[in-house]
Amino acid sequence: MKNNRSLVSVVDDDESIRESLPDLLREFGFAAQAFASAEEFLASDFVNQTRCLVLDVAMPGMTGPDLQRELTLRRQEIPIVFITAQRDETVRPRVIQAGAIDCLAKPFSDTALLAALNTALRVN
Amino acid sequence: MTSKKGPRVQDELSRVVNALPGLVWSALPDGSIDFLNQRWCEFTGLGVGEASGTRWQSAIHPEDLPHLLDRWRSIVVSGAPGEVEARLRRFDGEYRWFLSRADPLRDESGAIVKWYGTNTDIDDRKRAEQELRRSEARKTAILDSALDCIVTIDHEGRITEFNPAAERTFGHRRDAVLGRHLADVIIPPSLRDMHRLGFARYLATGEARVLGRRLEMTAVRANGNEFPVELTISRIPIDGPPSFTGYLRDITERKQADEELRRSEAFLAEGQRLNLTGSFLWRPDTDEIVFSEQLYRIHEFQRGAPVTLELIAARIHPEDLALLSEKIAQARAATSGELNYEVRLRMSDGSVKYLRTIAHIARDRDGRQEIIGAVQDVTERRHAEETLNKLRSELAHMARVTSLGALTASIAHEVNQPLSGIVTNASTCLRMLSADPPNVAGAIETARRTIRDGNRASDVIARLRALFSKKEAATGPVDLNEATQEVIALSLSDLQRNRVVLRSELAADLPPVTGDRVQLQQVILNLLRNASDAMSGIEDRPRQLVVRTEQEEDGSVRLTVQDAGIGIDPQHLERVFDPFYTSKSSGMGMGLSVSRSIIENHHGRLWVAPNDGPGTAVSFSIPCAPEAATAGRPTPLQTSAPTDTQNEMRNP
Repeated sequence: MKNNRSLVSVVDDDESIRESLPDLLREFGFAAQAFASAEEFLASDFVNQTRCLVLDVAMPGMTGPDLQRELTLRRQEIPIVFITAQRDETVRPRVIQAGAIDCLAKPFSDTALLAALNTALRVN
Repeated sequence: MTSKKGPRVQDELSRVVNALPGLVWSALPDGSIDFLNQRWCEFTGLGVGEASGTRWQSAIHPEDLPHLLDRWRSIVVSGAPGEVEARLRRFDGEYRWFLSRADPLRDESGAIVKWYGTNTDIDDRKRAEQELRRSEARKTAILDSALDCIVTIDHEGRITEFNPAAERTFGHRRDAVLGRHLADVIIPPSLRDMHRLGFARYLATGEARVLGRRLEMTAVRANGNEFPVELTISRIPIDGPPSFTGYLRDITERKQADEELRRSEAFLAEGQRLNLTGSFLWRPDTDEIVFSEQLYRIHEFQRGAPVTLELIAARIHPEDLALLSEKIAQARAATSGELNYEVRLRMSDGSVKYLRTIAHIARDRDGRQEIIGAVQDVTERRHAEETLNKLRSELAHMARVTSLGALTASIAHEVNQPLSGIVTNASTCLRMLSADPPNVAGAIETARRTIRDGNRASDVIARLRALFSKKEAATGPVDLNEATQEVIALSLSDLQRNRVVLRSELAADLPPVTGDRVQLQQVILNLLRNASDAMSGIEDRPRQLVVRTEQEEDGSVRLTVQDAGIGIDPQHLERVFDPFYTSKSSGMGMGLSVSRSIIENHHGRLWVAPNDGPGTAVSFSIPCAPEAATAGRPTPLQTSAPTDTQNEMRNP
């Protein structure tokens, strides 16, 4: 794969996502890092290396959209693919409007995720 | 004539005197009687010997004797002729009045030698005089004591009598008005000419417009104040020129009372008109019915038309006739108490009025049953309530949908997280196995995680269920009759609005069951609502709803709610407990399955059976023995997907 070793970071408070998603991303050929909260991600050394962010919408503390706003303020223009377990119809247009690549509803298929990541990396 | 004239002359004279038809006597100058003629003796039945001297006095009425003797003595002393009246006893014992006249006979020297007397029968005149006096006295007594003014006038209209009541009323003294024209005394100046004309016409033509009739006119007092009087005039039935008696009564107070009454009636009528309330009186024994003016207006009956039960029934909305008949029967059977109900009228233009009736059953003074009530037109209030209820049910529906939405979102979130893990792990697993060479160790790890996430999803479901059953059932002894009555009280206005006629047949001495009072009441409420809804389209028969409690032979308590509704298609009988089954256009269809879960948690059974006639009966029975209820506490409600057993009918 062309995008070998591009780092995709996963931020989700749900442990099963943090366990399962990095393995799938590696199967896709990306490098992957998982964080349990937005705060943990911002505090890490991986912000600048991250080529794409897979971001949960609803989290305790700083939410996914909060992190999106924070990164925009910091001019860290990382493409974001939101994932959410909520069926709130208003979230998707709001985050897309704010620049997100896509917003996938959990559970999502591997192909839907790969398509979103490919779009994100092309933009990149 | 003296005895000196010789016995022959004396005898002759005696014969003459005795032959006279009158009673004749003579006395000596000292007053003692020396002769009584034969007619005197025949009249009194006394012999000459029995009457001479002073013995004649025995024939005089004892009451008259002292006066007669006095008078006789003074005549004798005066020597002048004199008269006296006294009663003389006849031979048969009856007294008659006589006028006795005595004249002295004198000699040449002027000395009295003899008294001659005659007795004239004046009894008839005397009696007439007495009668007249008595009649005068009676008249005076009547005139004096009469409460009415009595005024008599002669043919010229002059006052001939003016009794004390007239003096008091008009303020004139009798002496001052006798002989004056009546018109000048008691008739106001403005009406005098009319009075004179009428009086003159009567005298001229005999045409009496006023005689013998009760009249009302205005009179005037001495001080000039005018006032209303009631008057009757009659002609005094005697010969000669006509004279009249007028009876007058001051009716100022009655007029005022009439006016007061009229005013208070007007107030009442206005009050009734303003708050749309009419009143009625009904006597069941004769079915006499009296409506107030406003009640005529409410019913749109011809004012004053006789009101009958049939007339009222023709106005009542057909669906409410049964209720009205029931209330009428109830009223007839009762001796006291209250009636309180609501019926609708169907007016001729097709509009509907809602009438609330509150009536009091009582007995009148004669012991007859009478029912007095007030009827208020509450149509506008009903319409407002209906609007409010519609809003309320829309709101309730919205709240239910909203909370259901929130619940769904929460369930979705909790379940989607592990599902997401499962899908991702499975995808990864497939990719690892299909790689060349296959990453078996990685695939095993992801498969292991898939299983773990599956279990986690199952845990979430279990946790959700625990969350929704957090309300611990409050178990205790429950009086099912009491619980039912509370629910009925809460539902009554709903039921009445749906025109459901509710009959409760609650068994006496029902043993308590053990359970959660609120949950059981929810079941009863649900059954009542279903029954009411099932009858909402029924127009051709009463919407009769029966709630019955009874003790079963096995010791459990059974409650049945029976409707006369559309019933359940036998093909669908087994489906009514399906959580999403509904025959209604509105509603969630959750009622019966939830009800059944609750009853089963109380170790009871709930079943549906068609009636013999139209409609359905839904019953549940719960064991009342304490060990049955304490063997296991009611478990959390099973509101999740139905199991096979829940679809099974358990008809007795």
